[in-house]
Amino acid sequence: MSDTMLPEDDELLAAELAFGLIDGEEKRVAEERLATDRNFAAAHSRWQDYAAAMFHDAGEAPRPSVWSAIEARLPANDLGRAMVLRSTLRWWQGGAAAACAAALVLGMVAVQKPERVFVRVPVAQAPIAPMVAVLTGKQGLVTVSFDPASGRMTSAASGLALGDHVPELWVIPADGKPRSMGVMNAAAPGWGKVPTQAAAALSAGVTLAVSVEPVGGSPTGLPTGPVILTGKMAATS
Amino acid sequence: MNSEDDRTTLALMLTQVSTGDRNAFEEIYRRTSVKLFGVCLRILPVRQEAEEALQEAYISVWQRASSFDAARGSAMTWLITLTRNRAIDRLRAKGKIVTAPVELAEELPDDAPDATSLIEASQDERRLAHCMSTLDGGDAGLIRRAFFEGLTYPDLAARASAPLGTIKSRIRRALLKLRECLS
Repeated sequence: MSDTMLPEDDELLAAELAFGLIDGEEKRVAEERLATDRNFAAAHSRWQDYAAAMFHDAGEAPRPSVWSAIEARLPANDLGRAMVLRSTLRWWQGGAAAACAAALVLGMVAVQKPERVFVRVPVAQAPIAPMVAVLTGKQGLVTVSFDPASGRMTSAASGLALGDHVPELWVIPADGKPRSMGVMNAAAPGWGKVPTQAAAALSAGVTLAVSVEPVGGSPTGLPTGPVILTGKMAATS
Repeated sequence: MNSEDDRTTLALMLTQVSTGDRNAFEEIYRRTSVKLFGVCLRILPVRQEAEEALQEAYISVWQRASSFDAARGSAMTWLITLTRNRAIDRLRAKGKIVTAPVELAEELPDDAPDATSLIEASQDERRLAHCMSTLDGGDAGLIRRAFFEGLTYPDLAARASAPLGTIKSRIRRALLKLRECLS
């Protein structure tokens, strides 16, 4: 991205467009200019990055029912009802059953009409229940709690002695692909935000596992050492 | 948003979505829904409304993925911008945009980033937060109100009961200061 400074007025116009300060004709003219003036487009893109960074403190896991609703609104395709059912269940098994059922009913309606159908699905008003898991196995004990409302978890290990290795916590959803929830401290409880990919995979009934990894965690993004503890997430209500 | 690799992957997945690839769409949702839901909640604090805005946003992602141009910006910025716009649309559609008067002197203290949230922020985000904090509190507040509530210059002037020219020159001065700090 070029860092050449535009004339002050152009620089400001790019910023005003990115922050939504201008409207109407002024906005339309500025938007048209994006297509023809490369330097202006580059400045606008840079300001859009700055504007997006205003959401520095934003981040919270939506409820699983939101994905069900989005999926049900995608245009009908020729994969057939069974695929729709399977793909929805694969993701959010056990979670928000009522919402899934509603979404599936509407999903079927969408499949029966082959033309482009977008179905609006109201998001179900199910409470967001925190989840807990107790992991047991070859050595010690690990407890994990996860609050979908904040996307944060707490974890604690007892009786784990791994020498110069560390325990790493994973969520393994129905697709069988482990997603790291982070490296644990074997000696002290920890808490923190669950990485996006892992948080999206967390639902009641999903498998959690602890593997033995080098300090700093798995270098590959997948478990490299033996899995010593496993357990399943359970909703608390 | 943590590494160059993530950005490239996200851009690639958007290209796949533009060809109707549902798996790529699911993967984008998995990777970005926590951030984008946070964006919706920042603009629409009522969870139900934020969830509906999030739906609208992802449906837009599905429909408009082909308009994403990796040469012209990052995928994450494109997603955040689109989501912010859907949430602002919904805020406006409610017909009663927050009517709180704009305070020119001071901004609300809870808008300031706290230490914990900054630990998780990317480098860009930390830089912006730092530079915003160097602005006059009232000016920073104006920029935040505009961006998070979808208020234009005339909207801000009306809410601040101040002349349009005053609002414009304050914000423009602040934007130039921001540019200087960030570059």
